[in-house]
Amino acid sequence: MNFWEYLGNRHQQLLIDTYQHASVVFQCMVAATVIGVLIGVATYRSDWAGSMATTATSTLLTIPSLAMIGLLIPIVGLGVPPTVIALTLYGLLPIVRNSIVGLRGVDPALVDAATGIGMSRVARLARVELPLAWPPILTGIRVSTQMLMGIAAIAAYASGPGLGNLIFRGIASLGSSNALNQVLAGTLLIILLALLFDAGYVLIGRLTISRGIRA
Amino acid sequence: MSASSRRRTPRERRPPGEHEAKGGLAFRDGDEDRNRDEHSGGDSGGGGAGKGAAGSVSSAADASRVTWRKLTLLPVVLIVLLFATWLWFTQADLDALSENALSDGQVTKALRQHVVLTVISTFFVLIIAIPLGILLTRPALRRAAPAAMAFANMGQATPAIGLLALLVIWLGIGRRAALIGMIAYAVLPVLSNTIAGLRANDPTLLEAARGIGMSPPGVLARVELPLAVPLILAGVRTALVLNVGTATLATFGGGGGLGVLITTGITSQRMPVLVLGSILTVALALLVDWLASLAELLLRPRGLEAGA
Repeated sequence: MNFWEYLGNRHQQLLIDTYQHASVVFQCMVAATVIGVLIGVATYRSDWAGSMATTATSTLLTIPSLAMIGLLIPIVGLGVPPTVIALTLYGLLPIVRNSIVGLRGVDPALVDAATGIGMSRVARLARVELPLAWPPILTGIRVSTQMLMGIAAIAAYASGPGLGNLIFRGIASLGSSNALNQVLAGTLLIILLALLFDAGYVLIGRLTISRGIRA
Repeated sequence: MSASSRRRTPRERRPPGEHEAKGGLAFRDGDEDRNRDEHSGGDSGGGGAGKGAAGSVSSAADASRVTWRKLTLLPVVLIVLLFATWLWFTQADLDALSENALSDGQVTKALRQHVVLTVISTFFVLIIAIPLGILLTRPALRRAAPAAMAFANMGQATPAIGLLALLVIWLGIGRRAALIGMIAYAVLPVLSNTIAGLRANDPTLLEAARGIGMSPPGVLARVELPLAVPLILAGVRTALVLNVGTATLATFGGGGGLGVLITTGITSQRMPVLVLGSILTVALALLVDWLASLAELLLRPRGLEAGA
């Protein structure tokens, strides 16, 4: 069976796996973005808390994903829970870091001006600081998503959902005629998803980055 | 990203005398927040430099203090972690399967394999990525750099496990496939780090070096590379940390390493084996990162200290 026949025969299974992969990455990214930006907002004002958050997140990032999943399995079992927790945790890191960097990079004069025209703390954050910090945060989201695509594939070893299952099935049946097809389909579809998400973020950037700071 | 580089402009509007300090600040920041450049670099060509500069908003004095505190904190945490694991292990009752997976020095063997895989792959990553980075920033080849970076970004989207599996199918099971996969996976971030580092050099310094009659190799060896040392060291650290991580996947290609314990633990549902493998991997990753950050602090050129 060549690769194209394989794709034709299995397209239903492939579509399900692709959908699940995209869906788990997307949902974890939404969770990670919300939590990450909240952590950023909570910590960027204090030097100490900000560097704590950055240090903690980058320490977490050095932990290999397979080991993280391995540590989660005794606590939450196999399947979707360890996948979702691990993906959300890893997804947080670039977002926390970039929201702190972005929020701290906002010109203090602009914040002063916002205070001066009578904006409350919340309004200042929502209407001045976050829109100005949004481009680096969006970059963090893009970086996270790309990373999560790969980690989600590894999480399939702990019975997680998605395209990683194809790759691991291929590894388990090394030597069989379908091994290459499975691994190749899994890998290429993950790359394709990553590129599609990336294109999506470029579009989101176009639509959401405030016109005043767009280059 | 272009929007983000716009964001740097307030920082660049410095008093005329402070230009040298700018480079120092950006570098310092680059190695304090170690993994940022790796990831932003993967995202878009000049991204690493742009965000490094944006990040230097946090005070530089703070940066070194935090690094030193972290340097003393981490070994303590690691010792406590390993001691707790050891205590737990002397208590845990292991059944035959777990005993079997952990006996005969298999844990030490896995640990040694893991370290060897990491060291070898890091060595090759560095001798490939750094010269390539230097080549791609030379005027003659500078035009090839965007294409190379675009290719690198595509490569970053490739999942490590898929790459490894393809190599195993192509080259057969064994350490060679695992090593090639690890190297291919880590070359790209280090390459983009090196390129970003060399590009971030203050052009006026290069101009000055040329002005006092240095040849192009002289400028490279005595000005550009020393200035880029912090970012190159950050690249070394990135490579090490990435390789410790991908080395856990080597087990899927028959390459050994601590991943063996983790996968055995998962497939045979033996939590002690799984937890021991995971904790050792975590400890090794943190230790490697700690050693690399120590190296960054010690090897940083003295001239860059003065700026901050």
